[in-house]
Amino acid sequence: MTMNVNANEDVIVCKDVHLWYGEFEALRGVSLTVKRGDVIVILGPSGSGKSTFIRSINRLEEHGAGEIVVKGIPLTHDVRDIAEIRREVGMVFQQFNLFPHLTVMENITLAPINVRKWSREKAEETAMKWLTRVGIPEQAHKYPGQLSGGQQQRVAIARTLAMEPEVLLFDEPTSALDPEMVKEVLDVMSDLAKEGYTILAVTHEMGFARGVADRIVFMDYGEILESDHPDEFFDNPKHPRLKLFLSQILHH
Amino acid sequence: MAQNISAAPEQNIPFWRDERVLGVFAQIGFIIVVILGAKLLGTNFASNVNKLGESQFICRDGSFSYRCAYDFMGSEAGFDISDTALDYVNTDSYWYAFYMGLLNSLKVGLLGVILTTFVGLFVGIARLSSNWLVSKIALWYIELMRNTPLLLQLFFIYFGVLLALPLIQDASPVLGLPIFLTNRGLSIPAPKFMSAAAIWVAFLILGIIQFQVTWILLARQEEQTGRATNRWARGLIGFFIIVIAGWFISSSVSDTQGLLTSKASRIRDVGDIEKVMLNRTNLDYLDEIDTLSPEEVDAAALKICVLRDSASEPNLIRQIERIGAPYTVRRFDRPDQVTAAYVEGDCELFAASKAILAAERATLENPSAHLIVPVKESPIVWSVPRYDGTNIFGGSKLLPEFTALLIGLTIFYGATLAEIVRAGILSVSKGQSEAARALGLSESQRLRLVVLPQALKVIIPPLIGIFLSLMKDTSLGLAVGYPDMYQVTFTTMNQSGRAVQGILLLMVVYLTISLIFSIVLNWYNSRNVLVER
Ligand SMILES: Nc1ncnc2c1ncn2[C@@H]1O[C@H](COP(=O)(O)OP(=O)(O)OP(=O)(O)O)[C@@H](O)[C@H]1O
Ligand SMILES: [Mg+2]
Repeated sequence: MTMNVNANEDVIVCKDVHLWYGEFEALRGVSLTVKRGDVIVILGPSGSGKSTFIRSINRLEEHGAGEIVVKGIPLTHDVRDIAEIRREVGMVFQQFNLFPHLTVMENITLAPINVRKWSREKAEETAMKWLTRVGIPEQAHKYPGQLSGGQQQRVAIARTLAMEPEVLLFDEPTSALDPEMVKEVLDVMSDLAKEGYTILAVTHEMGFARGVADRIVFMDYGEILESDHPDEFFDNPKHPRLKLFLSQILHH
Repeated sequence: MAQNISAAPEQNIPFWRDERVLGVFAQIGFIIVVILGAKLLGTNFASNVNKLGESQFICRDGSFSYRCAYDFMGSEAGFDISDTALDYVNTDSYWYAFYMGLLNSLKVGLLGVILTTFVGLFVGIARLSSNWLVSKIALWYIELMRNTPLLLQLFFIYFGVLLALPLIQDASPVLGLPIFLTNRGLSIPAPKFMSAAAIWVAFLILGIIQFQVTWILLARQEEQTGRATNRWARGLIGFFIIVIAGWFISSSVSDTQGLLTSKASRIRDVGDIEKVMLNRTNLDYLDEIDTLSPEEVDAAALKICVLRDSASEPNLIRQIERIGAPYTVRRFDRPDQVTAAYVEGDCELFAASKAILAAERATLENPSAHLIVPVKESPIVWSVPRYDGTNIFGGSKLLPEFTALLIGLTIFYGATLAEIVRAGILSVSKGQSEAARALGLSESQRLRLVVLPQALKVIIPPLIGIFLSLMKDTSLGLAVGYPDMYQVTFTTMNQSGRAVQGILLLMVVYLTISLIFSIVLNWYNSRNVLVER
């Protein structure tokens, strides 16, 4: 719709990213390019570095070597660039991390008012729009503690969307939810994928991975071992460790 | 059916296992213990009081009664207090002396609470800084302060630091600012309030009310028309108009300041000073004063006399400096000293409040030869400390005793509070900070909007305890000779021999202060309780 929308533009470029926790090397040369509108699901065994990787994209973890470029901005120690990237990249956490001392409405408007410097009226209007989108406009004036887990996670998504990011990072957004609430969150995520958001999601929801992802990435021991279209990924895995992984998760 | 279900379990609980019966027993037991304890204390107290004898309870009419236990407080105190908030002389009553002590305790305590809050918050945050040096300095500060006795710190600050400062003869401005730090205390610029300030404050309040009303009306109008108005600008313009107008109105209606001068001086009004000075110097304009030699200027200078530290001085000097007339100022401790100098001819003008001047003029030999000239007053005048070679005058002076106590309490309790602040911040989960960062909030916004409000829930209950301890520890002022409530009572007890009354009075007052403090803080705390699962 606008001129700078270029479907083929690289939104995230990671080249040979390494990350150390003290002596321990959690990422060992990860390279990945994400184009605008791509939906990428990251799979892998526990401890393989999935969270570490997506958290390094918005600088919640600091990579030690390699290059991460988001929307043309290289991620360095420059706090202005970090702030700029964080404005373009939203993140949804496993534990929701809503602010318990603020109402749902205040949770959502906090960043637009303080970071984007919107007026309260505009921020609240937008917040209502997003709450309606995730299906819980009637909860606006409750506190997070008064909501169910699924509702809390949808508020967290609305809070992230209210900053109008282009890229969304999800770190196991349904893992802390009771089974009956998983679907309501996955539905919202699927809608967002269809709308053209660029998405990187760590999730164990195979149905979502197969149905929504453009590409699935398999990580183990801090490396990307395989990256493929969902059908090919599940039906024709090549790397032996991926085969083992799939046999383990698909057999129960 | 339903009746059976609810009644059945009641049947066979032995009473010694019934929680309701046990609860009642526990309460009865507690009451018995309290009564016995009170009785023990009461008889002990009564027998002590009896031993002290009836002379402790003399009434004004000479009879004896317990009801007259505090009558002695009405008599003359007879001792001086080095630092008082209000005017006090040693002929005032013990009650009034006690009141001065109470004000001093409250002054140090409240200022201490405010400063402690800042220090504690700042150091607590610094302690968690990712900067190695900053966090280590904070750590050392905290450990040093928490692991040495407060009394020792007070001695160190008072004797080791403040009394080791330069003598007053060597006073010089600190860093070129109008601040003087000597072993007689700290002098800083300060506003002085004239009587017109009371009227001006009324205008100030009016301005705030105006702002509120404008704000609400415009908000309503915005809602109806749907068009935004500039509420801030309109409210503030109104506010400033009222406050500035109030400044001039209050200074023109209030009429308490004056000058005592002889009719011969031909000064009938402050404006006349210019004419008089032009005459004296033979100049056409006072800005040509530079053309005169220093000796000539000195000879022509207007001789002004004032009471030391009175607000009349800066108020008049400001007006004289605007005229540009040369002047000298002499300062005296008591009005009669000024009058004596005035009679000697050392003072052309005696600046003070009209009430003082009228009383002094009446003592002159020929009052009708002297005039009291009105002086305009500003509601607030800024008084800057200056050094005249022997003394520092003007500004506001903090005595070393006060300064030592305030600094001591602040850094000691600041360290304690810093640890609590640190614990409070650490109690907020890491996920909260991560969410704040991921949303793009800056580090200071993250602290201010997300972390601290949640940490406060953990910080405030122990904070109440810290404030109460600080308030009570103002009694350590005794160690450095600060005349707080405790010291004044101590002197009172020594002089009057009424130890029991003194201690009881102290206990009641400290208790009252503590209760008021905890009621206010607990109320604040309960308002901040979070709605959480
Ligand atoms: N703050 C940390 N300090 C030290 N080691 C860490 C830290 N965070 C993660 N690690 C280690 O880094 C490795 C990768 O962790 P990461 O959380 O990225 O795994 P993951 O793939 O997200 O696992 P899971 O599926 O269990 O969430 C793990 O071995 C973990 O122990
Ligand atoms: Mg993880």
